Amino acid sequence: MRNVWLIAKREYLERVRTRAFLISTLMIPLLMIGGIMASVMGTTRTRSTAHITIVSRDQQLALDLQRELESSKTNPMLVDVISPGNSATRATLNSMLADKQIDGYLWITPAAHPDERPQFSYTPRSARNIAIQSAITTALRTVLARERPENDGNVASNAESLRVDTTQAGKNAESTSSYVAIYVLFFLMYMVILLYGMNVARSIIEEKTSRVFEILLATIRPEEMMAGKVIGVGSVGLTQVAVWLLTAILLTSGSWLQAIAGQSAQISLSAAQIVYFVVFFLLGYLLYSSVAAALGAMVNSEQELQQLNMFLVMPLAGCMFALGPVISNPGGTISRVISFIPFCTPLIMYLRISLARPPLWEIALSILLMIVTIYGILWCASRIYRVGILMYGKRPNLSEIMRWLKYS
Amino acid sequence: MAIVQLQDVSKAYDSKIAVDHLSFEIAQGSMFGLLGPNGSGKTSSIRMMIGMTMPDTGSVVLLGKPFDRKNVYRVGYLPEERGLYKKMKVIDQLIFLGELHGLDAVTASKRAHGWCERLEITEAIPKKTEELSKGMQQKIQFIAALLHEPELIIMDEPFSGLDPVNAVLLQNTLLDLNRQGRTVLFSTHRMDQVEKLCDTICLIHRGQKVLAGAMQEIKARYPKNRVQMVFEGDPAFLNHPVIESAKNYNGMAEIKLRDGGDAQLLLADAVSRVRITRFEVMEPTLEEIFIESVGDRVDA
Repeated sequence: MRNVWLIAKREYLERVRTRAFLISTLMIPLLMIGGIMASVMGTTRTRSTAHITIVSRDQQLALDLQRELESSKTNPMLVDVISPGNSATRATLNSMLADKQIDGYLWITPAAHPDERPQFSYTPRSARNIAIQSAITTALRTVLARERPENDGNVASNAESLRVDTTQAGKNAESTSSYVAIYVLFFLMYMVILLYGMNVARSIIEEKTSRVFEILLATIRPEEMMAGKVIGVGSVGLTQVAVWLLTAILLTSGSWLQAIAGQSAQISLSAAQIVYFVVFFLLGYLLYSSVAAALGAMVNSEQELQQLNMFLVMPLAGCMFALGPVISNPGGTISRVISFIPFCTPLIMYLRISLARPPLWEIALSILLMIVTIYGILWCASRIYRVGILMYGKRPNLSEIMRWLKYS
Repeated sequence: MAIVQLQDVSKAYDSKIAVDHLSFEIAQGSMFGLLGPNGSGKTSSIRMMIGMTMPDTGSVVLLGKPFDRKNVYRVGYLPEERGLYKKMKVIDQLIFLGELHGLDAVTASKRAHGWCERLEITEAIPKKTEELSKGMQQKIQFIAALLHEPELIIMDEPFSGLDPVNAVLLQNTLLDLNRQGRTVLFSTHRMDQVEKLCDTICLIHRGQKVLAGAMQEIKARYPKNRVQMVFEGDPAFLNHPVIESAKNYNGMAEIKLRDGGDAQLLLADAVSRVRITRFEVMEPTLEEIFIESVGDRVDA
């Protein structure tokens, strides 16, 4: 174990210290920030299209508000007025919300008693669009202050009583978020495997060409070296992805950003889903890195590796074809069988978990199968490696590899 | 007691037999030469000694016990194919390799500095390996093999690519270590380079042992029938009856005596005829012994 750790530590430190790592780690967040800046500038210009409806029996108040909102210098919006509204109005407005015809509606319930204040209730399409809410609050404040100067002391509290009803916001978000998560998982794995899985293979080839393995193999077993490489090089990739993801999360979750950027995709995941996401991502990454290690063990140069790297992403891409059947019947036999194939487990089992929680033993079994497969691949890779380096010069064919596995 | 013992060891790669029923042993504290031409199975034998490959048949004793992987870190190995991480700093590299051999980072660093001083390459310590000359890289690799103070030091072609000054420096270092009780195994095809260093040798050819034993014993087995002399005067004396054949290069003669021929007789005759500035009865070189032994084998 100590040797695995030493190899992994060296790989990690040597890679993280390079300028290339620093640059690529910083470039992506900078690009993200740049991209978001650009889109924010784009969206502020299109902000005028914000479209709300005001429902009020007090037509004068509604019209004043409409004028105030439409003439706003900072955030002008399109405002319809319905006066007075009836019981069918709310249903109509809700369906308009769902169809994205309007961004929200303000329902003003007049005071039952002259001493009481009217109630203001705003129903947004997206709970995160704070910009519209704050614009309405400001407009309310201005209009009320102008209309009832004598109520000056109460204006602030009046305006604050704008109740935000988020029941309409994010309807259907629950079901779409699991699809979003699956696609995020897929693209994350695809990208990371392509970028970093290949680094594992390259690192093993480098070991061969630099001939350092002669000293290494004089003290450690090839299995230890393989495992160390997968963990060490893998951690570099994880570090980088973690930096990128953290930046992305920080950038997208900041409420200031939502305030200007408006609607963002609704992703609501349970804690268990997040835990499974991490578990399956890590296991999938380890599995595919092990395959990369085996590829690296088989070839002698990067050029040869290029010809083989399709084997790395093909199984993953193949899983995408299985998504359809699994989504339509997550608990069916086909779905269950596919989710137990270790190369498909990360995506398919995760999909099943987010659609319809499969029995715990199935999840445990699929994880166990993945771990066994990772171990098996590393074992084979180290066999191929040990024999391969002793007879470098040509790429082995399949029958030779099978024979090498029997060598010790 | 034998620190290393190969018993009837064979290893075949695909169609080629690299090592063919080879047996020899290395005594504790000796300077052992594993000698043979290119492709004779030296490196294959070493790899089996330290468990990089397993013998197809036969058994290996390492550090006095049947081969056990747990003991391999007590061996210092300088491989024939040198390899260091190019982009890595020398000191980091030495610490890493020291740690792999069971040292902690602090000890490894301390010893690395000590060794760099001893081998006169302190300026290389903070540099990256790729910035160093080949000879320096070789010294670094040499240090890497010795950092953990191994009981058994295996040097595969240790002096190839080194200038004479540095070769002598490394030779003296190895002699020092040997005096401290370490066992040193040289593997080389340059038999002349280790002739003076080794006390025991094993000559192999095509994976088989040609001859083995104490250097002096082996040399004594072969007659001293070669004479080298430098003279001024008429070379007619080279027709002396004890001479089997002679080559004369303008007063520098290489002479092979007949079996049982006495060099003393030749010298007496020559003294009376020419002026002699040098007359030396040569010991057979390992190379000659090797060629003669292999020749015998071919004839048989």
